[in-house]
Amino acid sequence: MIEVVHVSKHFSNETVLKDITVTFERGKTNLVIGQSGSGKTVLLKCIVGLLEVDEGDIIYDGVVFNKLNFKDKKSIRKEIGMLFQGGALFDSLTVEENIIYPMDMFTRMTTEEKKERANFCLKRVNMENSNHLYPDELSGGMKKRVAIARAIALNPKYLFCDEPNSGLDPKTSIVIDKLILELTEEFNMTTIVNTHDMNSVMEIGSKVVFIANGMKCWEGTNREILHSDNQVLNDFIFANSLAKHVKNTIKN
Amino acid sequence: MGLFFHVGKYYELMLKVFTKPEKRIMYYRQTVREMEALGLNSVGIVLIISVFMGAVITLQTAYNTENPFLPSYLIGLGCRDSMILEFSSTMVALILAGKVGSNIASELGTMRVTEQIDALEIMGVNSASYLILPKIIACILVFPLLTLFSMVVGVAGGWLAVVFTRVITPTDFIYGIQYAFIPFYITYSVIKMVVFAFLITSISSYYGYYSYGGSLEVGVSSTRAVVHSSVFILLFNVILTQLILS
Repeated sequence: MIEVVHVSKHFSNETVLKDITVTFERGKTNLVIGQSGSGKTVLLKCIVGLLEVDEGDIIYDGVVFNKLNFKDKKSIRKEIGMLFQGGALFDSLTVEENIIYPMDMFTRMTTEEKKERANFCLKRVNMENSNHLYPDELSGGMKKRVAIARAIALNPKYLFCDEPNSGLDPKTSIVIDKLILELTEEFNMTTIVNTHDMNSVMEIGSKVVFIANGMKCWEGTNREILHSDNQVLNDFIFANSLAKHVKNTIKN
Repeated sequence: MGLFFHVGKYYELMLKVFTKPEKRIMYYRQTVREMEALGLNSVGIVLIISVFMGAVITLQTAYNTENPFLPSYLIGLGCRDSMILEFSSTMVALILAGKVGSNIASELGTMRVTEQIDALEIMGVNSASYLILPKIIACILVFPLLTLFSMVVGVAGGWLAVVFTRVITPTDFIYGIQYAFIPFYITYSVIKMVVFAFLITSISSYYGYYSYGGSLEVGVSSTRAVVHSSVFILLFNVILTQLILS
């Protein structure tokens, strides 16, 4: 479980996050949604420690993460897997080497064990037989799947995904969403996904947090969104005419 | 204000770089890779410029000292000392600042803007140390060897110029390069190159590591890395010469 308690973040004179308090539960896919520039990526970066919070606490299973020193933070970071927007695969390494990298760095596994684990992770994301390809030989969706394979290589307790569906076609997006959901349930991880994609919200959002102008505006499940009276949320979710029509039909 | 900001940030980065490695074998492998990428791949350019520079120094000296009171073997001596004292360390360092410095800055800059450095940090890796320390060690080990190589091929270039143009006899040139030889000059040159290697890699890494934005900003970082490395090479050349030779 990850708790965000009264977190605020400022850049120069601009306040990007204002007093956000939210709990992300284990075994659930927690979605953070909001418009571009609403502060959701900053929130995610604060949670994983890439940015320091100005006020408030980030608590990982009872441990106040943001108050730890670099060495203690490292022990928690080894339990974190993250899927970046562009995949962030290491260009100079093959797919297999990318997945083996965290094992090389933090485990004493033998070469055979590492290869076996890499093959397992690749199979899990349906990317068998791509071991010797380089990232620039992969499509956008394949890169994301390899990045997921790398993220789960060390059996993380926490999985973070920043815009996992950006730049992907709807069909591939569904594959990635399904994969995130399955892995979360299979490994009982605390998963936090930043997204704009309303299909993702409806498909995998067991908990949804809506952020607008750096503030938490709403939280609930994907089913509750359909019945919400929150005007800001409705303006964002049901922005197009088809979605508005669906909402009105449900309401009536 | 800007200067103090950069000095402070550079110092902070170096503190992160010089920490105990997480897993030595990974750093060792990375260092060997960097020795090849940054050092051995620069042999070609060092060879070409040293040969031609040795030849030009010899010809320039010969055409500007056509004085019957000056013995012709001094042309060989001039070529040797120019190569050892200045060219093979300072000039080669300036050229390596262009080649290696821009390579390092653009590599790290691209890793930064494509979030690869963030990915390392998330894994719990000290990205500054893992990415920069092997580059610094590799360059400190290989660049002095390039300096020695440059001295040899530079003098060989001078000899070739003499053989083909006959400005003096090859025998006089060979006598000149052996005349009044001071071995400490080689030590002086190698010491300078060790310092230059550190400056090139650390300054370029600093600009690359703290890149932000997109490809345009990576290009700007790369240019700054080369310009500032070159300026610091020239500054430290004066300081080290005064300290070592005075």
